Amino acid sequence: MSGHRHNAPESDIALRVKAIEQLLTEKGIVDPAAIDLVVDYYETRVGPRNGARVVARAWSDPDYKARLLAEATPAIAELGFSGLQGEDMVALENTPEVHNVVVCTLCSCYPWPVLGLPPVWYKSPPYRARIVREPRAVLAEFGTRVADDVEVRVWDSSAELRYMVLPMRPAGTEGLDEEALAALVTRDGMIGVTAL
Amino acid sequence: MGELTAQKLAEIIARGSTKRRPDDGAPPRFAVGDRVRTRNDHPPHHTRLPRYAMGRTGEIVLLHGTFLLPDSNARHLGEQPQHCYGVRFTGKELWGAQGHPADRVVLDLFDAYLEPA
Amino acid sequence: MDGIHDLGGMHGFGPVEREEDEPVFHHDWEKRAFGIEFFTGSRIGTTGDKGRHAIERLAPATYLTASYYEKWMLALELLLEEHGVLTRQEIARRMAELVENHDG
Repeated sequence: MSGHRHNAPESDIALRVKAIEQLLTEKGIVDPAAIDLVVDYYETRVGPRNGARVVARAWSDPDYKARLLAEATPAIAELGFSGLQGEDMVALENTPEVHNVVVCTLCSCYPWPVLGLPPVWYKSPPYRARIVREPRAVLAEFGTRVADDVEVRVWDSSAELRYMVLPMRPAGTEGLDEEALAALVTRDGMIGVTAL
Repeated sequence: MGELTAQKLAEIIARGSTKRRPDDGAPPRFAVGDRVRTRNDHPPHHTRLPRYAMGRTGEIVLLHGTFLLPDSNARHLGEQPQHCYGVRFTGKELWGAQGHPADRVVLDLFDAYLEPA
Repeated sequence: MDGIHDLGGMHGFGPVEREEDEPVFHHDWEKRAFGIEFFTGSRIGTTGDKGRHAIERLAPATYLTASYYEKWMLALELLLEEHGVLTRQEIARRMAELVENHDG
């Protein structure tokens, strides 16, 4: 919480949050030390590196890929990733015929255990409004051109399932091991707004 | 609240809190490939059926199993667990002439939102 | 609920604005807001759908102009009041005290 310059005026929202934290601490509802722990967890323990390991394993091990596509939650848990906002996962395979992309038009649902907390654009009105209606235009803004005869399949995570995209393995990566493959996998590729 | 350690927190997060509920044994009303129409009733309360998909016809593509119903849970009316389905709609069905012929949108919809088409 | 949160298919929002190398949180207060929300929902019984519905009940203009974690906090205030945990007056009073102490 420290780090504010001595005389810097705090914004209304910063002040409001500080007031709420103090009051809830006094009532025994929150504990500042516990808040520190949860912030640290989501800053350092989860993020797209987790999902990249899932993708690299699926590219390297056909049996794992089959398990991931059949039942994603236990397959992802094999690599140690599970829990909040990823309790019930589905993995979507991109193919030459189908390009998958994920959104939550009503809210901000996102698979935390494998991708971490979502970027601001994913939660923003432009993305949520447009990706279901004109996905190809939005994908083009991300530099992703999808041929007219390729299906764009948008997954609006409206209920309790959480989705991650299994991108197509880039050409010319046959000799790479899992670690090198994981380094090629991006957050945006696993949301489905880019291809790798 | 007891001393929370990083280890204990990691365990709580890893366990999560699924909204999946035990099946009551009743088979799902729809099968993969069935055509369904979404209800068009604009409820004034919390729901997971977006406006753009109301009154539309789609196809069941995934059976997700049984989950609590957010519509009733959000209103403190109980969980009312029911089947949830992945339902695929064409871009043309959702957006008319502006829809791209090769666009599809899949939504996860609860049994109460659907009727046979 | 036909609220402003139900954004799918709406026109007029312009391009998707992205940030290179975006941090997990942009401000210290966002970290605290995330942590407060993480624990409070389960303590007062407003996790999941009830918390989401509070965000959906924010005024449409607020929904579109407030940042993500601001929305969380405004919705939390609503829930804290409805559940008899804290009033807006208590929060406003504490904010005023924080300003006074900061200046003094």
